[in-house]
Amino acid sequence: MEQQNKVHRAVRKKSQKVAAQNNGQNPKAFAVAAPRRLERQARRTHDVNEKRFHVPMVDRTPEEPPPVIVAVVGPPGTGKTTLIKSLVRRYTKHTLSDIRGPVTVVSGKRRRLTFIECANDMNSMIDIGKIADLVLLMIDGNFGFEMETMEFLNILAPHGFPRILGIASHLDLFKSPASLRASKKRLKHRLWTEVYKGAKLFYLSGVMNGRYPDREILNLARFISVMKFRPLKWRNEHSYLLADRIVDITHPAEIERNSKIDRKVTIYGYVHGTPLPALNARVHVPGIGDLTISDIERLQDPCPTPYQEKKDVEEGKIKRRKRLDDRLKVIYAPMSDVGGVLIDKDAVYIDIGHRSFVEGEEKGVGERLVVGLQNAKTTLGEGAAGIRLFSGAEALHEIKPENDEDDDIRKGNSGRKERRQGRSINGESYGGDSDVGNDDEGDDEDEDYDDADAEEAAYSKSMASGLVDNDEGEVEEFDFADSDSDLGDYDDVDDFDVDSGDLRWKSNLADRALKDYQRRKWDIGKLLYLDHISPEDVIMRWEHEQLSSTVADGEEEDIEDASDSENGGDDFFKKRENSSILPVNAEVIDRTIPVYDDENLKDKWSGSSAAFALVKGRFITRQSDENDEINSSDFDGDGDEVFGNFEDLETGKTITGSFAEEEKQHSVSGEEEAEEQKEMSYDKVREANARKKEKLRLRFEEEEEQEDDGLGDDDPEKKLYNTWHDAQKAKIAKQLEINKAEFEEMDSVTRERVEGYRAGHYVRIVIDNIPCEFIETLDPRFPVIIGSLLASEDRLGFLQVRIKRHRWHKKILKSNDPLIFSLGWRRFQSIPIYTTSDSRTRNRMLKYTPEHLHCTGTFYGPLIAPNTGFCAVQSVANGAASGAFRIAATGIVLDVDQSVQIVKKLKLVGTPYKIFKNTAFIQGMFNSALEVAKFEGATIKTVSGIRGQIKRALSKPEGHYRATFEDKILMSDIVILRAWYPIQPRKLYNPVTSLLLNEKTEWQGMRLTGELRHEKNLPVPQLKDSEYTTIERSVRRFNPLRVPKTIRSGLPFKSQIAMMNPQKKESYLQKRAVVIGGTEKKKRDMMQKVMTLRNEQVRKRQEKKQERKTAYHKKIAENEEKRRERERKDKREFFKRQGKKRSAGEPGGGGKRHRGDDE
Amino acid sequence: MVAPPVLYNGHVDFRMRLVLATLSGRAIKIDRIRSDDMEPGLKDYEVSFLRLLEAITNGSVIEISYTGTTVIYKPGLIVNGTVTHNCPLSRAVGYFLEPVLLLAPFGKSALSLTLQGVTSNGVDLGVDTIRTALFPTYNKFGIMRQELRVIKRGAPPLGGGEVNVFLPHVVLQPITLHAAVKTPSVSKIRGVAYSTRVSPASVNRIIEGARGVLSITGCETFIYSDVARGEESGKSPGFGVSLVAEARSGWCYTAESVGGPGETPEDVGERAARALLEEVALGGMVCRSQVKSLIVLMVIGKEDVGRVLIGKGVIDEGFVRLLRDIKTMWGTEVRIKEQEMLDEEDEQAEGLDEYVVSIKGVGFVNSSKKIA
Repeated sequence: MEQQNKVHRAVRKKSQKVAAQNNGQNPKAFAVAAPRRLERQARRTHDVNEKRFHVPMVDRTPEEPPPVIVAVVGPPGTGKTTLIKSLVRRYTKHTLSDIRGPVTVVSGKRRRLTFIECANDMNSMIDIGKIADLVLLMIDGNFGFEMETMEFLNILAPHGFPRILGIASHLDLFKSPASLRASKKRLKHRLWTEVYKGAKLFYLSGVMNGRYPDREILNLARFISVMKFRPLKWRNEHSYLLADRIVDITHPAEIERNSKIDRKVTIYGYVHGTPLPALNARVHVPGIGDLTISDIERLQDPCPTPYQEKKDVEEGKIKRRKRLDDRLKVIYAPMSDVGGVLIDKDAVYIDIGHRSFVEGEEKGVGERLVVGLQNAKTTLGEGAAGIRLFSGAEALHEIKPENDEDDDIRKGNSGRKERRQGRSINGESYGGDSDVGNDDEGDDEDEDYDDADAEEAAYSKSMASGLVDNDEGEVEEFDFADSDSDLGDYDDVDDFDVDSGDLRWKSNLADRALKDYQRRKWDIGKLLYLDHISPEDVIMRWEHEQLSSTVADGEEEDIEDASDSENGGDDFFKKRENSSILPVNAEVIDRTIPVYDDENLKDKWSGSSAAFALVKGRFITRQSDENDEINSSDFDGDGDEVFGNFEDLETGKTITGSFAEEEKQHSVSGEEEAEEQKEMSYDKVREANARKKEKLRLRFEEEEEQEDDGLGDDDPEKKLYNTWHDAQKAKIAKQLEINKAEFEEMDSVTRERVEGYRAGHYVRIVIDNIPCEFIETLDPRFPVIIGSLLASEDRLGFLQVRIKRHRWHKKILKSNDPLIFSLGWRRFQSIPIYTTSDSRTRNRMLKYTPEHLHCTGTFYGPLIAPNTGFCAVQSVANGAASGAFRIAATGIVLDVDQSVQIVKKLKLVGTPYKIFKNTAFIQGMFNSALEVAKFEGATIKTVSGIRGQIKRALSKPEGHYRATFEDKILMSDIVILRAWYPIQPRKLYNPVTSLLLNEKTEWQGMRLTGELRHEKNLPVPQLKDSEYTTIERSVRRFNPLRVPKTIRSGLPFKSQIAMMNPQKKESYLQKRAVVIGGTEKKKRDMMQKVMTLRNEQVRKRQEKKQERKTAYHKKIAENEEKRRERERKDKREFFKRQGKKRSAGEPGGGGKRHRGDDE
Repeated sequence: MVAPPVLYNGHVDFRMRLVLATLSGRAIKIDRIRSDDMEPGLKDYEVSFLRLLEAITNGSVIEISYTGTTVIYKPGLIVNGTVTHNCPLSRAVGYFLEPVLLLAPFGKSALSLTLQGVTSNGVDLGVDTIRTALFPTYNKFGIMRQELRVIKRGAPPLGGGEVNVFLPHVVLQPITLHAAVKTPSVSKIRGVAYSTRVSPASVNRIIEGARGVLSITGCETFIYSDVARGEESGKSPGFGVSLVAEARSGWCYTAESVGGPGETPEDVGERAARALLEEVALGGMVCRSQVKSLIVLMVIGKEDVGRVLIGKGVIDEGFVRLLRDIKTMWGTEVRIKEQEMLDEEDEQAEGLDEYVVSIKGVGFVNSSKKIA
């Protein structure tokens, strides 16, 4: 069959343009068509690139991050609860009826969300602003922005802005689409000015079935799920936790005894931020105060992500779950009683849904019996009789609670907290015990342990037992001291299999085995922190272990090398044994230079090359460039002595010069190794290579550059990365990688000790000594936050801050008026003094904050590192709120110190009473000669600006003094001495303990002076001298200078006063004087009289008019006043009506909107 | 609710405990100080050190009990400034300078410290060793520009020396250290041999003695001589030498010795040289006289893991005590593991018994440093 090709398409004609281009007339190829535009484009690209840059910051979020804290914030009645319900419903298909406390849900494969509703309360807003990762800012779209929203945004700003998503609700209430659109636009632009241009604002229309429309919620959920978060500085340096469950575990008997006793409380939650230290962490709980964590423990994640769960299943940590449970697991809200199952440290609680027991209506004998027991005034055995366990035994009166003992052990650093401590330690009981422990906790760390070899476990078991012994002093069987004394006869133990015929060895086989392990497995890492072993002992044990293990290793591994290595090893360790370091003289123990045993060193380092052979490679010789080998002949005279042939007298062995022999040996062993390598399977080689690569990967650049010194300009950083920014980022990434690798090498117990409990872990924290009010008034609507404190933040001192009154705050702030600061984790009241710096020479106190400027403030409080932002309010109580903007000031910490130097200007005033030429006697400034003596030499100044100096006190009138001036002063001058008086800020640090109150929103600290005066109806004290009065300034009249004739005549010509003689001739005018007379005179007289009459008439008319006018103006003013009053009333009524939802809202929020009911 | 003071007992590691307390800001109480001794309580140099601490800090409260066996120290903030301190003759100025070096970079401003007394006594670090060996170690942590000038050399027993130390560099926190790959090779050996109020020839004899022992290394060796004359010399005659084996990477090992009664200069030189060889043989990045400072600087770093290589011989009782003190102060633990050889055929690391110490910093920030 013939092949049939498709017919060719006709060739298209080239367009003229293309033709022209082909002829080399392409304008684009040779010149820029629009250079300006190109330049603009380039500039823009640059700008956009530059904007990308932020200060490189370490992101310490672990692989399995903690839930994202989503705070829903808004004024009451904006639909916060409805939003949470809708979102929870969207994620879990679970309808919450009552939201109390945080609700954690799984939102994606690797993301969980913790929703928390922020009550309408300043304390809650501040606390939530510090921990929220994402803020859903609810705005009533129909009403607009309200004061709470603005306040919240201004709280966020100084504490590091988290992500903000505006949500406008109630948009269904708009009548016309046009007004809706306009309103949306207005809201959006307002939000942009507050947050940033382009901030997302969501719109939610009406409520259906108690939820927002599904489609809108779905969109919102998607938005939340893709949101990325930038690390914030404070949270990147501190660990924190949002409590989602709080249980009081104080012994009930103690509460019975004293209901006000400080409580022992467990708090549960996910760790956020940096890892929480495992031991005695200091924390601050806003609303309570500074506390010390007495115990932390990691619990199984109650709300694991699918990713984590899958990983756990793959690793065999947990069994594959049944499908059914999943629905229960994806929501976790223990305070809201949702889900029904609660897993605790040692119990599982199942909510059976209904209350089967009502107090006072007991059913059956059992319930009555139990209730009866509960009502007993004293516990069993209390009182004089005591309790008798066995008949005939002595009555017990007191017994240490077992619980405490366990706690003690836990406080000791045996990492294995969960496992029950056996009373007697027998190898046999061990296995079963551990299994039980594991089942109880289901802790994955423990599973790790089981996988590890039993030896290790047995070892650590023995360690634990050692601890038990030490604490109780009961079990002496395996005390470390015993095993220590046995160390000497290690050989006996070693050859016990030789005696195996003898049955004696069997008697305590387990014992011996344990001891064996103790001996073999002394790991310096573990030994270090066993506090009951003294440091000297630690080193001794460790060195013995070293000795035995090397010998053992040598035997096991390569017998060929044995002689060599043993020689070397022996040599080395013998040196250590009869060490070159002498036991330190007890007298001078705190010495830095180690003590050397001179004789030993002399033997070691002179003559014999054996010791030097070991370190020979560590020296770079002068000849190393030319010749790798050390050539002894190149050295100065001593060379021969050192490297020449000589005979070791003790052994009788002749040692030849140089290191040729050793090197030969090395090369031989090298060859052997090579052969061995060949024999090694490829897999092994690959494995080794992989290991090597991994190690290389974890090298830090700095380590690599070490070897080549003097790099100078060609820094590897510059070579590898385009910009400094890139280099820094790479450095950070590398460091994180190193951290990760380092921590992953550790087992989980060590890791927790070294690193702490890292973010994402669900932990149970036990805190002792929490005031009982916290538990008694616990209200889950108010968040409980635990924020860790750095070591330096635990101190009190003076903070110098840059502070600015908020421009929306109505009043300026006054020095020495108390202010509530939100700084770091803390909220506290303190008394600031505002200062300004007089050209950096002194800090001068200001009475009030400047109107539109920053000033410096100083107050007493916890020392938070400089560069931390804060905000301040005058009152946190809702009752005190007047509806005005409450954030009084914002600022940043500049400096911390234990003392401050603030001065106040002081002017002392005096008057002269006798004036000589440049000297004057001044009175009224001081009261005694002693005071004057103190100020001798001080600069003084008159009001007119003549400067002077205090010379000396006058003897006679007490307090008067002589002063000199640069010019003669006047009697009317006032003399001023300007001085600086040091003042100290008051030391008030009053933490806001809002969580200990019944009315949590009504905390009140020290009140402002003005408030107190207002309440007590006291007048503002006013000094008479400080009053402002009208200043009367009489005009000074100076007499003309008259020089007497006698003097004048005696003056020299130069100083003659030029004076004109009176004119003798008649002047022109005098000559031409016209005298009026006759009719003209009469006319003028007449005219004058008429004009007088007229003037009088006009004056009277004017007066009358003025009278009328004032009456009229008065009336007008009255009307105006009335109008204004009416308008004000109308306005008040209008806003009252508009803000109706506010009045419905209880102080804690949760207000239901009533407008919805109208429809 | 202020945290209770950390309790220690005994006079052991007195300086280091006070330094740790000052850095962490936690109050400490040390009791049973030589309580069973014939002369119970604090020694003169310990009291003097407390005075020095008081001078460079602001707001410290030091309470010493009547018998001197108990000290309560509530640290203030490190402010530095210009301080002159007269050290008792029982200890050298190194005793006071060593802890100050740890504190000064975390103060408010530069420290200019003048110390008067004995400049080196063979027990505490000599001033030359501090300048040539301790400063480079600090440079590894980003603490730079230290200056130390020996104005007068003072030998025991009468001292009369004077040292001026200028520490201008105030840092926020030390850089995280990574030095766990390779033991440094010594590229050159330097030293300072000094004498005061004795014949200048003794310095040359010291140098000769030291060079004689060090010649087996084949390393470039240069020992400076510093003969104090007239104004520069203190009140007692004496001589000594401080040796430093430097690696190209800036790490160094050090040893020193001071001439005792009846010792020849050659002996002193040889002794120092042997001690230096001994320190080099121990391996690791630093020798015993630097290791404590190094560990403390690593602990107060960022919350990242730093690593350093330490020879086995360097890990002694003092080292263990330091780590325990750090744990009581900050609650952090240090991990020590054996160094794995990267290259099996790496000949120079052979025979060394080294450990990698990895430390996670406590996230310390110099809070007294001012901004703007």
